[in-house]
Amino acid sequence: MAETANLATAPNRMAKRDPRREGAAGSRRVFIRKETLIALLFVLPGLALAILFKLVPLLRGIWLSFLETRGFEDPTFAGLANYRTMLADPSVHDSFRNALIAFATLPVWIVLPLVLAFLLFQKTPGWKFFRAAFFLPYMIAPIVVGIMFRQILAPDGPLNAVLRAIGLAPLAIEWLNGPTSALLALTAVALWSFFGLGVLTYLSGLSTVSEEVVEAAKLDGAGFWRLLFHIIMPLLKSVIGYWAVLCTSGILIWMFPLIYALTKGGPGTATVLPEFLVFTTTFQFLDRGLGAAIGMALFVFVAIVSAFVVRRMYVEGAQKK
Amino acid sequence: MTSTSLAAGGRRRSARAMLAGLAFASMTALAGPAALAADTTTIRVLNWEPGGADYWKALVAEFEKQNPDIKVELETVPFDRYPEVQGPYITTKSGPDVMENNAGLELFDRRRAYAELPPEVLEAGKDLITYSGGCLNFDTTKACYGLPFGYQGNVMYYNKKVLAEAGLDPANPPKTWDEMGAACEKVKAVGKTCLAIGLSGIFPAYWDFPEIARNYLTEDDMRAMLAGKMPWTDPKMVNILKGLASITEKGWTNSSAPSITMLPDGADIFQSGNAAFAGTIISDAVNWAAFGKVLGDENLGAMRWPTLVADAPLANSFSGIESSVFGVTSWSDKKDAAFKFVKFIAGKENAELLTKIAGGISLNKNVDPSVMPKSQALSQILEIIKTPTLHAGVLLSGQEADALARGWQEVALGRLSVEDWTGRMQKALEQSPSKRQ
Repeated sequence: MAETANLATAPNRMAKRDPRREGAAGSRRVFIRKETLIALLFVLPGLALAILFKLVPLLRGIWLSFLETRGFEDPTFAGLANYRTMLADPSVHDSFRNALIAFATLPVWIVLPLVLAFLLFQKTPGWKFFRAAFFLPYMIAPIVVGIMFRQILAPDGPLNAVLRAIGLAPLAIEWLNGPTSALLALTAVALWSFFGLGVLTYLSGLSTVSEEVVEAAKLDGAGFWRLLFHIIMPLLKSVIGYWAVLCTSGILIWMFPLIYALTKGGPGTATVLPEFLVFTTTFQFLDRGLGAAIGMALFVFVAIVSAFVVRRMYVEGAQKK
Repeated sequence: MTSTSLAAGGRRRSARAMLAGLAFASMTALAGPAALAADTTTIRVLNWEPGGADYWKALVAEFEKQNPDIKVELETVPFDRYPEVQGPYITTKSGPDVMENNAGLELFDRRRAYAELPPEVLEAGKDLITYSGGCLNFDTTKACYGLPFGYQGNVMYYNKKVLAEAGLDPANPPKTWDEMGAACEKVKAVGKTCLAIGLSGIFPAYWDFPEIARNYLTEDDMRAMLAGKMPWTDPKMVNILKGLASITEKGWTNSSAPSITMLPDGADIFQSGNAAFAGTIISDAVNWAAFGKVLGDENLGAMRWPTLVADAPLANSFSGIESSVFGVTSWSDKKDAAFKFVKFIAGKENAELLTKIAGGISLNKNVDPSVMPKSQALSQILEIIKTPTLHAGVLLSGQEADALARGWQEVALGRLSVEDWTGRMQKALEQSPSKRQ
C-alpha cells in the first residue's frame, strides 16, 4: 500500500518542480562551488606554508623528543625516556618556575604602556618628544640592549652610581647577583625594550576613540584615572586583549636574546627560561632529544596560557555581539 | 664561376670570417672572467679568531699568497658564543668548509661533523710538539679530525705594581694556597680585588677547574674522567670542588664574579689595574702580550696557580693542550682546498705569524727563536710549560662545564653547599651523551 501511495505521489512531486526555480538553485550551487574554489585557492598557499613551516617542524620535534641522541651520532628510539629525564631535571623545574614569575609581571606589561599611551593621547606637554622616545628602545636590537644593561646594572655601574648620588644607597644592590633581583632586572630590561611597541599599539587603538566621549566625561568631572579605567579601557578591550596575547607569548620569546647577553641564565639557574634551556640542551649539550622534549613542554605551556587569554577575548567579543 | 662571383664569394667568406672572429672574441671575453672564477675556490672558515684580528688578516693573506687558486672567507664568532653558532651548522649538516674547536672532548663530541684527516695532511703534524688532542682519545694512531697550531694552557698573571702597592714582593709571588690567602688579605687592604674572576659561561671549566684538579688527580684519573669512569662523588673530585669553592668563600674575588664572564668582564678588571691576579691562558686572547700591552710588560708577571697539595704528582705541572684545532667539515664539497688550509694552519709560516703578530706560543718545532718577543712574562711562561700534563678542562662534557659554572655561582652566593654541587655534577655526568657508559 505504501509503495502504491509513493508511486502515486511521486509524479505529483515531480510535477510540482518549478524549472525556473531549479535553474536558479543550480546556478547558485555552481556559484557556491566557484566561490568555495576561489576561497580555497586563496587559503591554499597559506595552508601549505603553515603545514610546511609549522606542522611539519612540530611533528618532527615531537618525533625527535622520543629519540635518544648521543652528540651528533645517529639517534635511537627511546620512548618516553627524554620526558622522564625532563621531569626529574631540577633545571627544567627552575625554568618553568622562572617563567611563571615573569608572567606575574604581565599586568605591568599591559597597564604601563596604556597609561603612557593615554598621556600621549591627551597631548600632555612634550608628547611629541615622548612619542619618539618611548619607541626608540624597541628599535635597538635586544642583544645590544642586553650588552648595554650588563654595564648599567654592574655593581659599580651608572644605575647604582645614580642611586647612591640621590641618597638611595641601600637600593644600590648587585642587581644580577641575587636570584630574584636578577630575574626582575631581566624582566624590567625586557619591558624597557618592548613597551614602546605597546604604546604604539594602544595609540592606534586610541585613534578610534571619539574625542567627544572623552570631553563629555571630562565635563562630567572625570579625572585621569577615572577616564582611563571607566572610559578608555572598556573602549579598548579588544586592543588590550591583543596586546595581552602578544605579551603572554612574548615574555617567553622576547627574553631569549636578553638572557643570552645579560645573564646567560645565571646566577645558577635564576634567569633560565624554558626557551633558553631548549637552546643550551640542544646546541651546547648536544642532547637534541631532551631539547625537543623540553621544547614540547614549552609548547604546551605557552598554548595553555595563550588559550586562556584568547578564550577570554572571544567570550568578551561574543558578549559584545 | 665568374670573377665577380668569386669576388662576391670571397667577400662573403671574409665577412663570415670576421663574424666568426667577432663571435670568438666576444665568447672569449665573456668566458674569461667566468673561467677565472671557476679556477678560484672559496672556502668558508668558522672561527673565533684566536690570536686577534691582525694575526688572522696576515694568516689569510699568507695562505692566499701561497695558494692563489683558493680564497678564504672568515666567519668569526666570539669565543663564548661559538657553540651556539656551530651547533645549528652541525645539526643541519651545512655551512662552513673548515671549523675550529677546542682540542679534546669538544672535538671528539663533534667528530661526525668532521672529515678524517688524510695521511698527506697529517704529515704536517710531525713538525708539531704534539697534535694528539685532534685525534680520537688523544691517540695519534686513531682517527684524527683536526690539526692545531698553538700551545695553550693556564697560568696566573699578576700585576707587580698592585703587589708592590700592597706591600708584597713582586719577585716572589705566592706559591701555596696559604701564601695566596695572606697575599689576598694585603691586596684587599689597599682596596683592590685580589683575584679577578668571572664565573659565567665556560671559563670556570677551562681556565680555573684544571688548576685545582692538578692537585688531586693523576693523568690516569684524567683519562678515566674522559671515559666517564670518574664519578664526581669520588673524594678526589669532591676535593676539587671544595678547592674552587674556597676561592670565592675566602673573599679573594670581585663581588660581581657570579654574574660576569671572565672574558671580557673579568679580564677587564685585571687590565684596568684594579686586581692583583687573574687566571687566564698563555696564547691567543687575554695572554701575556695583551695584558703587557695595557699594563706595561715591566708590570706583568706569570706564575703557576698556587698549589693546594704541595706533594701532589701534578701540582707543579702545566695544564697544557694544543690550542684550538682546525678540521674539514664532512659536508664540504671543497675538501681539497679545505685540507690545504688545515695543513697550512699547522705549518711553519703560520707558526711564525702567530709568534710575531699575536704573541702566541706555537707548537711548531721549527720556529726561529729570534722571532720570539722579549717579555719577562713570556720567559716565565716558557719555563712553566716545560713540565706539561693533560688539561682537565677539555675533558669535561658540555653538561659538566655548565653545571660547574652554575654550581660555583650559587656556592659563591652562599645558596648551594659543595655537597649539593657534587650531586649536580654527578647528574650532569650521567646526562652527558658523550660519556654515557
